[in-house]
Amino acid sequence: MKSFENINVRSVKEAVGLLQKFNGEKKTAQVVSGGTELLQLMKERVATPQYLINLKTIPGLSYIKEERSGFRIGALTTLTEIEENKSVQEKLLFLSQAAGEAASPQLRNAGTIGGNICQRPFCWYFRSASFTCLRKGGELCYAVTGDSRFHAILGGGPSYIVHPSDMAPALIAFGARIKIAGPAGEKTIPLEKFFVLPQVDYKRENILQPGEIVTEIQIPHPRTGSKGFYHKVRERQAWDHPIVSVSTVLQAKDGTCQEARVVLGGVAPVPWRAAKAEAFLRGKKVDEAAARQAGEIALDGARPMKDNGYKVGLAKSLIQRALLASV
Amino acid sequence: MAQKEFSVVGKRITRIDAYERVTGQAQYTGDIQLAGMLYARLLRSPHPHARVVSIDTSKAEKLAGVKAVIHHQNAQVPWASGGHTHRRYIFNNPVRFVGDAVAAVAATDRHIAEEALGLIEVKYEKLPHVLDPNEALKPGAPKISTDGNLSVGKGNFSAPIAEQWGDLEKGFKEADRIFEDTYISKHVNNAQLEPRASVAKWEGGKLTVWASTQGVSNARTDIAKDLGLPLSKVRVICKYMGAGFGNKNQAQDYDLMAAVLAKVTGQPVKVEFTREDDFIGMHGRWASEQHYKIGVKRDGTITAVELDAVTNVGAYRKQSGNLSGTDFYQIPNFKKVVKPVHTNTVVGANYRAPAYPQSVFGFASFLDQIAHEMGINPLEMFLKNRVRLYANKTPFTSNFLEECAVEGAKKVGWKEKWHKAGAAAGPKKHGIGMALGGYPFRPGLGAAAIRVNPDGTAHVLVGVTDIGTGAKTTMAIIAAEALGIPLNQIQLTNGDTDVTPYSVGESGSRTTPFTGPAVIAAAEDVRKLIFNVAAPQLKAKAEDLDLRDGKVFVKSNPSQSLPLGRAVARSGELIGRATTNPTFKGLAGKSFAAHFAEVEVDSRTGHVKITRYVAVHDSGTIINRLAAESQIKGGVVQGIGMALTEELLIDRFTAIPLNPSYRDAKVPTHLEVPEIEVVFIEHPDPYGPFGGKVVGEPPITPAVATVANAIFNATGKRIKELPITPDKILRAAQV
Ligand SMILES: Cc1cc2nc3c(=O)[nH]c(=O)nc-3n(C[C@H](O)[C@H](O)[C@H](O)COP(=O)(O)OP(=O)(O)OC[C@H]3O[C@@H](n4cnc5c(N)ncnc54)[C@H](O)[C@@H]3O)c2cc1C
Repeated sequence: MKSFENINVRSVKEAVGLLQKFNGEKKTAQVVSGGTELLQLMKERVATPQYLINLKTIPGLSYIKEERSGFRIGALTTLTEIEENKSVQEKLLFLSQAAGEAASPQLRNAGTIGGNICQRPFCWYFRSASFTCLRKGGELCYAVTGDSRFHAILGGGPSYIVHPSDMAPALIAFGARIKIAGPAGEKTIPLEKFFVLPQVDYKRENILQPGEIVTEIQIPHPRTGSKGFYHKVRERQAWDHPIVSVSTVLQAKDGTCQEARVVLGGVAPVPWRAAKAEAFLRGKKVDEAAARQAGEIALDGARPMKDNGYKVGLAKSLIQRALLASV
Repeated sequence: MAQKEFSVVGKRITRIDAYERVTGQAQYTGDIQLAGMLYARLLRSPHPHARVVSIDTSKAEKLAGVKAVIHHQNAQVPWASGGHTHRRYIFNNPVRFVGDAVAAVAATDRHIAEEALGLIEVKYEKLPHVLDPNEALKPGAPKISTDGNLSVGKGNFSAPIAEQWGDLEKGFKEADRIFEDTYISKHVNNAQLEPRASVAKWEGGKLTVWASTQGVSNARTDIAKDLGLPLSKVRVICKYMGAGFGNKNQAQDYDLMAAVLAKVTGQPVKVEFTREDDFIGMHGRWASEQHYKIGVKRDGTITAVELDAVTNVGAYRKQSGNLSGTDFYQIPNFKKVVKPVHTNTVVGANYRAPAYPQSVFGFASFLDQIAHEMGINPLEMFLKNRVRLYANKTPFTSNFLEECAVEGAKKVGWKEKWHKAGAAAGPKKHGIGMALGGYPFRPGLGAAAIRVNPDGTAHVLVGVTDIGTGAKTTMAIIAAEALGIPLNQIQLTNGDTDVTPYSVGESGSRTTPFTGPAVIAAAEDVRKLIFNVAAPQLKAKAEDLDLRDGKVFVKSNPSQSLPLGRAVARSGELIGRATTNPTFKGLAGKSFAAHFAEVEVDSRTGHVKITRYVAVHDSGTIINRLAAESQIKGGVVQGIGMALTEELLIDRFTAIPLNPSYRDAKVPTHLEVPEIEVVFIEHPDPYGPFGGKVVGEPPITPAVATVANAIFNATGKRIKELPITPDKILRAAQV
């Protein structure tokens, strides 16, 4: 690991100020929360910040609050806290499950929701200091010629990473919003709009600008009559990112869908919302045939690479299963 | 020999050093701190095959804290570990795989050493490389060794491993059906918990190496030979160790680097590997491609087997590269040709039962497939063809393989649960499978000394390292049993070539069969001395005395007795010793096993859940039940990993390993592993210490095939290439 200076900050404002200052001085600085993801990149020397701005010392940024409009979760809340929260377990259908299936118990105890959403890709080419890939300023996405078994089947190009977060697709299925603090003050946007496709900018996964940090996630209460389903397929039952995950939230009446959210993880460089499938489902009776067709529509346009074709069928069958379990 | 005769042997005994290990008091190699000690880090080749044109270390040497940089130009030390000694140095030029060591830096702390690696400027001239062993054998393939890519073995010439008996042609003529197919296994890393480490220190021309090794004696021999030192000028110490599974046998290149760096700096040096170093820089299990031709009678009896295989031993030959999975079957006519091949990949060498699990996977999968195609129940197929005579001619010292299979089948409920492959309804498919396995039980050279102190305690001295198997406890149990004193009166010192007697090396399941008999003989030796000094005190003849529960007594009148301490009091201490070298003439030794697994395969996701695992073992008398069960479970876990997830992936263009970590190489977690039910078929072996055979290596051997066969029974699709990951299961389901 390259040596660096750690700065404990006491407020969001201080953190934003420092980020701005270092950015102005052309020094590299990065915020750190649980450090579970960032320190690994630093050990590999893929990330070599000169300064770490430690958000953990900011009081009052770790909370789960249930309000009339929904839940508010502070950026420093750990995945374990989300997994174990009683109200989350009761009201947010599968969010506790998604948190509880991410990473490993040790990582969940230290890893925060803010860090989870901002984590960098777990693509082996990106993670290895031996490859200067597109995302690290190189000229190639090595997955194109190399081993692409875990890479994107949707939304790829010119980079083919899959977004690693398990929390993000689940949260998007609930219509979550994300609060960002920056030099210009605070803003709150739909979480879905937070992520960036490589065709827009292949060097970043999200819209955060230098000086900006995530402070809160807001989750509206699921509408009455909503049911949800979450399933994460992986090779190993712990300590493994998804091959494909599906999150569905369906509001239905007498088996007829009124509103649907279908979000896939592990298939695209961003959490992948299957908007066309959602539109197709609206007003439909959700039976075997409709569920199957929704799966087909969701994967329409999938462009598998050399080694990841199996993900297409897997995603289709997962969507089908999720929808049938959501009515 | 009935169990009741033993006072300690056969019980469930926690390790004698468990407390030190779990409280952090145990000093592993990485924990050692010496005054003035430097820290070293290694620079590894980023290229699979390249000539090192120049190395400029001036910038690295200028970095404050850097004390020495060594590389092929200033440290030409041969590295002969493993016996396959051909032309390998601690730094090689050309470098032959991504991860081959190029230089080592010693500095005042590890961060400086690591920083310095980035300042070494190496100019490489890239050479053509080859990753696939079949490609490597083609004429015109890049030459990795000057002798060609078919590896040079112990015999000092390039030749396949060949074995043959019976009349192959006749065997195939007698067959009613002949089957041919190919099975493929991949490179998996040993993934032992303790990363490699070594500390070297020179004192008055004598070198001491604290090594994380599976054999202090052979590490000493290797280090002395490689550095050109007299044996007596090298001391190797290994007290605690966090496992090796075969990849810490003997001495390794980094032990030699530590020694050289310590010599040039005049300061002690510690080398520690990162986990990545461990995955890419040392070795894992050799991958294989096994082509079988098998002839069988209508009733399933094997008439002939021909195995033609290549194994990938990587850039250097370190071990045999053999395949021995056919060992557990009675094959009247047999021919095997295994070609160990060099490629520009990390070395393939010893990993727990080196030549077995990959090869049992191939052969037992194929046998299961043949049973399926002939409409024979696999249990019947395995029972019918189980081995009776080693290599179709030599009887075993003991063989309860049949009982293992029969008992296991009963326990798992084979009769009720087995069904036709792929027959289960619904998306979650139940499957059940089995396979046979085991490992050679060999006798050999062992040595031990026992000091009996005037306080009635005994101090056992053995050379063995405890690589995590509980060997120290095993030796203490054997000593307590043989001496006749309680286990808590035993102390033990191990793993120090200046202090402890010779040990062959704790690999190949040799610890108990080699050193166990020596401990028994040393106990007998010291008992004689005890009886001699006790005889006048008890006014009896020495030959009329016995020692049990720490008391010396007259056999005919046990109340006429003396506490051991009192008997010895006036002798200062008594020392018994023994060097033993038992053999079994005209016999072969083997521990046997039959494993059974039930799985649930989700046909929608390709996920395999192992729901039950039964492991039945014939290892003779069990010396420590707790340790033996742990060994079986550990072996099964490794087999499950190899069957379902583990593989070191190499990028096909750059030859860079893609997943050199626990997370990405997918070592199994608790969630992948069911409760493993262990059953011992306990018949004492006439040649083993207290009737015990071997336990360490057998359990991994049938585990991969057992899981693979259960998956086949569930899905009806045979996956012939490891590991059996969800993508393969999903793809197979589509055809
Ligand atoms: C081995 C391993 C396996 C994993 N498996 C999974 C998995 O299966 N599923 C899954 O979802 N995740 C997985 N993860 C990711 C894990 O959930 C994250 O490491 C964790 O949630 C990140 O939280 P952290 O607080 O430790 O982040 P840090 O490591 O502190 O930071 C991560 C990144 O986010 C940035 N960051 C942190 N906080 C903020 C903030 N408030 N605002 C803006 N940027 C911020 C940092 O600068 C850094 O770039 C895995 C991680 C590891 C190391």
